[in-house]
Amino acid sequence: MESQGQYIGSNSGMDQKEGKIANQRKAGTCESILRILAFMLTLTAAVVLGVSKQTEIVSMKILPTSPPIDVPATTKWHYLSAFVYFLVANATACAYAAFSLVLSLGNRGTKSGLGLVIIFLDLLMVALLFSGNGAATAIGLMGYQGNSHVQWNKVCNVFGRFCNQVAAAIVLSLLGSLVFMYLVVLAALGLHRRSK
Amino acid sequence: MGSTDKPADLETTKEVPPPPKGAAYGSTPPPPKHDHFFVVDVVLRFLVFAASLASVLVIVISKQKVHLGPALSVAKFNHSPAFIYFVAALSVAGLYAILTTLLSLSVIWKPILSTKLLLHFVFLDVLALGLVASATGTAGAVAYIGYKGNDHTHWLKVCSTFDKFCKHVVGALATSLFASVLLVLLVWLSTFTLHRKIPK
Repeated sequence: MESQGQYIGSNSGMDQKEGKIANQRKAGTCESILRILAFMLTLTAAVVLGVSKQTEIVSMKILPTSPPIDVPATTKWHYLSAFVYFLVANATACAYAAFSLVLSLGNRGTKSGLGLVIIFLDLLMVALLFSGNGAATAIGLMGYQGNSHVQWNKVCNVFGRFCNQVAAAIVLSLLGSLVFMYLVVLAALGLHRRSK
Repeated sequence: MGSTDKPADLETTKEVPPPPKGAAYGSTPPPPKHDHFFVVDVVLRFLVFAASLASVLVIVISKQKVHLGPALSVAKFNHSPAFIYFVAALSVAGLYAILTTLLSLSVIWKPILSTKLLLHFVFLDVLALGLVASATGTAGAVAYIGYKGNDHTHWLKVCSTFDKFCKHVVGALATSLFASVLLVLLVWLSTFTLHRKIPK
């Protein structure tokens, strides 16, 4: 009887261990897929903003009495520093996603401190991306609405296509930053499961 | 009795009856390093609360009236939607910080479910970090344009006239940046403690 009880005990122990390894492997695959997704989203956001440029013919009056002259006006993304910061943040996050994909693939299964370093860097990327999103949204909104109190005119009534491209880049970057946030949460869940 | 070819510890378990299923193996006393963690956690959270509160107060009381010729122009924080979002986001973050400070304090006195609480702290702290970071970026972008102006869009700089207002805004931004750094430290502290709890 006793030997039978011992046999059953050891069998369930083996199943538990196999279940744990299978869970870890599933989590590792999920993490890799998320990193690839983050890489693609931030890359697309950076590219969409980087190629945004629009030239329009604007009729301006040089003197109040002379007839209006048609002047070509251009807007590019690097005219506004907030967009430069947004692009740099997305480029950094994109490069980091590729780098950490390689690192996490090499780190699978080992119990080194590299996992903690990756979590910390993921956190920094979350903060950086969110601040870049906030900056670009603020300037985009300013261009869309203007601000009557400080006499800042709206720009998007003239450069509509540029504003649409900026909005698309912001949405993509927001999705990318949510993926980074989910990566941190997933890592914490994995740690919690392993510490039980 | 029993065909055992397993190691010798089986002999000792023959004398001691196996413990019944689901019995607690004695309550483990809380190890001192986790008390240490929660004390640091409480201090950091209180600092986040203080920084968010200070930030909100500094920007809300910033109001400047300047006479530009015959007209009187006023600069207030609610003239810009970016600053309104900044105040709202930091107020939420400050409220969250004080609530979790109290929660952390209560865990020091009654250390139950500390691992699960660490996990929940990680979730919520990452959300709060995203909120505070985006608020800092939003207000920072508008403040930068107010400081430098922009030639291409013909947005004139405002900080030369409203210097006291701009100083208040810069102060609020600095404290909110400090709060976001503290939040990064908090999340990392929670994950580090979870990592330390993994049985080797």
